Amino acid sequence: MSYLSILNLAAPETIMVMTALAVLAADLLFMRELERGTRQLIGAMIGCAGCLAAVAWMLVLPLPEPGSLMQGLFLVDPLIRIVKVALLALTIFTVLISMEADFTQHIGEYFALILFAAIGMMFLVSTEDILMIFISLELTSLSLYILTAFNKRNIKSAEAALKYFLFGGMAAAFTLFGLSLLYGISGSTNLAEIAKAVSGKSVNGLDPLLIAAIVLTVIGFGFKVAAVPFHLWAPDAYEGAPIPSAAFIASGSKVASFFVFAKVMMIGFKGAEGSGSLQAWMPGWVPTLAVVAAASMVLGNLAAIAQSSVRRLLAYSAIAHAGYVLLAVMAVPSPLAPHTSPLGPLVYYVITYGLTTLGAFAVVSNVQQRTGGDRLSDFAGLARRAPLLSFCMLIFMLSLAGIPPLAGFFGKFYVFTAALSSGGKSLGLLWLVILAVAMSAVSLYYYLLVLKQIYIMPSTDQDTPRPLSIGSQAIVFALAALVLILGCAPGLILEPVMSAIKVAGL
Amino acid sequence: MENFFFYFFAALTLIFAFLVIANPFSNNPVTSAMFLVLTIASLAGLFVLLHAYFLAAVQVLVYAGAVMVLFLFVIMLLDLKAEEERHIRAFGLGAGLISVGAIVSIFLISLLKAPLLSNPAPIVHGDTLALGKLLFNQYSLPFEIVSVLLLVAMIGVVLLSKKELK
Amino acid sequence: MDQIFVNLKDWLVALFPAGRQQELVSALISVAALIGTFAGLFALTTVLERKGLGRIQNRYGPNRVGPYGILQPMADGLKALTKEDVVPRSADQVVHFLAPLVLVAPVFLALAVVPMGRNMAAVDFDAGILFFFAVGAATELSVFMAGWSSRNKYSLLGAMRAIAQMISYEVPLILSSLAVIMIAGSLSAVTIVEKQAGYSGLIPHWFVLTPWGFAGFILFMIAAAAESNRSPFDLPEGESEIIAGYYIEYSGFKFALFFLGEYIGLFAASGLAITLFLGGWNAPFPFLTWIPSYVWFFGKLLALIAVFIWVRGTLPRLRMDQLMNFAWKFMLPMALINLLTAGVWHFTPPGLARWIICALLVFGPYVALGRTLFESKKLAKRTYSYAE
Repeated sequence: MSYLSILNLAAPETIMVMTALAVLAADLLFMRELERGTRQLIGAMIGCAGCLAAVAWMLVLPLPEPGSLMQGLFLVDPLIRIVKVALLALTIFTVLISMEADFTQHIGEYFALILFAAIGMMFLVSTEDILMIFISLELTSLSLYILTAFNKRNIKSAEAALKYFLFGGMAAAFTLFGLSLLYGISGSTNLAEIAKAVSGKSVNGLDPLLIAAIVLTVIGFGFKVAAVPFHLWAPDAYEGAPIPSAAFIASGSKVASFFVFAKVMMIGFKGAEGSGSLQAWMPGWVPTLAVVAAASMVLGNLAAIAQSSVRRLLAYSAIAHAGYVLLAVMAVPSPLAPHTSPLGPLVYYVITYGLTTLGAFAVVSNVQQRTGGDRLSDFAGLARRAPLLSFCMLIFMLSLAGIPPLAGFFGKFYVFTAALSSGGKSLGLLWLVILAVAMSAVSLYYYLLVLKQIYIMPSTDQDTPRPLSIGSQAIVFALAALVLILGCAPGLILEPVMSAIKVAGL
Repeated sequence: MENFFFYFFAALTLIFAFLVIANPFSNNPVTSAMFLVLTIASLAGLFVLLHAYFLAAVQVLVYAGAVMVLFLFVIMLLDLKAEEERHIRAFGLGAGLISVGAIVSIFLISLLKAPLLSNPAPIVHGDTLALGKLLFNQYSLPFEIVSVLLLVAMIGVVLLSKKELK
Repeated sequence: MDQIFVNLKDWLVALFPAGRQQELVSALISVAALIGTFAGLFALTTVLERKGLGRIQNRYGPNRVGPYGILQPMADGLKALTKEDVVPRSADQVVHFLAPLVLVAPVFLALAVVPMGRNMAAVDFDAGILFFFAVGAATELSVFMAGWSSRNKYSLLGAMRAIAQMISYEVPLILSSLAVIMIAGSLSAVTIVEKQAGYSGLIPHWFVLTPWGFAGFILFMIAAAAESNRSPFDLPEGESEIIAGYYIEYSGFKFALFFLGEYIGLFAASGLAITLFLGGWNAPFPFLTWIPSYVWFFGKLLALIAVFIWVRGTLPRLRMDQLMNFAWKFMLPMALINLLTAGVWHFTPPGLARWIICALLVFGPYVALGRTLFESKKLAKRTYSYAE
């Protein structure tokens, strides 16, 4: 494989690497003397330009020949392209949100690290090889650890980063162990090859080594998507990290991790599904995930009720949402209806969820800049001070709770349908879907708690409200509009995704 | 003979690794770090048994040499008096033992039950030339990504160790 | 004549029954030969060094024991053996005891991959050069162990200086040898020597006679001096500031072991320099090939040691900041440029043009870098003011 053909195949990633280096170099070489605002503006502009260039490259140029795939090390297909475009969109929004940030002097490094994390995610979604998955997972994680620790004046940021890092290191060790067992079983790093070995092994009961591999892999990815019981880092990281970092961890990282999680499970462990239905419980990765998903939904939703910090609340809500998305991962197409791939609902769900949380974090960022905190009481009376912002928050919260016609509703709807249809006539995952619906109802309560503060409680601060910058309001508004539009017309994402899945043959 | 050496080095690795985290004779972090060096050296022995001389040498060069010495530096620069006098709490010990026991039992059960591989592992080409060819042909993309990863790590280290100017 | 030692060993090995026993005996003979030769060389070098330094400094040097003081090492050895071995009460006994061993064992291991004559490498394996550096890394550890276990602040300071210095200079050391490895296309020391065999007319094909090889050789020698804590890089034992660095709390035979380790390390580094750049055991001229290969190797080794002694007698000790600046701002960039030049050399067709291009590629940056560093205050030339 020559370098030129790699550069051609991975052109968007290459563009992103160049952009990251350009941001770094521009800031370190030419902008030391400038004011912070200018530096932030220029850095963000370069970053966004790079992301847009990568998006343009993917949307405008035709796909390269599907034959040039480097044995699964790097794939280019329409589905991956869509996910990558979504990741880049989330990156752009994150960069835009961080333009207002005032927690650091190292602006070039900050933007560069966001871009590097995005590069890791892009590689993560475009591979079917466990070696590449691990390396890109580490690239993403390492960038995110540093982004979490970025606010050096705040001890909480350091604490969050340390927890995130230690948990992440442990999880990476587990993942690596699991992946090496997989390599040991199959003698290959390619997911499809592994699947061949795996399905050969599971003729009469599962290979014990395979069970260990499944469990270890699930631990690693469970950490990345913050599913119970690997969620302990999430509340602290969401609360302590600088807001744009937390937003990126909550959005982009989730999209990439869930996509690759689903791929590893569906492709790599094909033939070792087992069954998660209560009547016919069979060991495999589906029941493992079923337990994790159920725990995530219950614990996430119940713990969120008790939170007084909005960021912690969002963290627990993220844990709960991880439970919902896991339903889609488990929804293996039944032999009866092989063409209903659950990847479509999954991609739709995680993209809209990413946009929604990003928006919610943008609102929190605005509030925190004005009041200095993110407690629920800091949101009191926001509707009078900033009606537009409050309305956007209303949309985000209701979408997270799953109220039609917002994107969150359709996401849940599709995911639950996929989970229901997966077991064929027997409705194997029915119990999980019922649990999920019940827990969604619970979740409405704490989302409404936030809205109650915003709309009903009187404002506590006596100061004259500082006017919001038009830029940040525009970002929040754009995100809210996206959530609304994607909710009203889910086909905008779903249709291309579904046709892409057909092309990819998943 | 090979088998004997395998078990010998494996046992050494395990014993030293255990002494890294729970040394009954000393609570000093420096001692732990030195046992880590020994762990890594015995691991290199395992690599040699696999005829992966390159990996063995790199393992010693990078980990036992550079990385561990930097570890020791950091340990020395930190004031670890508190660490030396630390006592493990009963709860932590209990919980740790239970979870470790659970994991160990899972592995033991699965390993004991696991049938021997019907197809023997592919012959390992551990020599430098083969490794280099693989690294720069088939695996050039991961190799390049690792370079980005190292760049990120470097940025992070410089950034986090810098004094924040107010 | 050339193969006399090899044949001797083969004869000895053949005395034993074939199989595992022969392998063992063969290994033991190699080890014994290595230890014997280099311990002898160590004894010789100490006396030569003291004599040489004395000459440079206009004094006699040792001249009491034996004719011309040639038996001085014996006396030193006896003294070291009979001296009381003092270990501080608060020292970490085990680590304190192990430190000199951890230094001496790896440097002998490192010597094992250096070919000292035709068919005279104790071990020839695929990743030989890497092995050399890998076991060399253990010296850092031993220095740390010595400094830390002594529970003496001067020891610790010395150890920290030494480690900082060794880690910094290890980078240019490895990078400068990387150029050779790249051109030779092998990590095996024996193969690298074989690549340097042959002559164009009278000129041998040694790597040192190419632009990148020459620059690499200089860089390698500087870095090797720093790695083995030789003057002018002997800050870790700077007696005027920290008494004797990490050696302070060592006395008697342990101190002698440290001394031995340092010298063997120096021999190993010189041996590697000979292997990489000076054609190994190859004769310098085609008409001298009748002289046995090991004579050439040890001749070159003694010549390099003489250079080290000469440098030690000539140059003053560096300051810590100068040392670090020199490593990171000069050695490292030069080593990288040298690597690049080696690449250019590999891909341009042979001829005079290649020579000129590569020479410019090395020399240009050398001048530029030297100028900029010299002009920045940190490495400025010292001005002396003499008393009237």
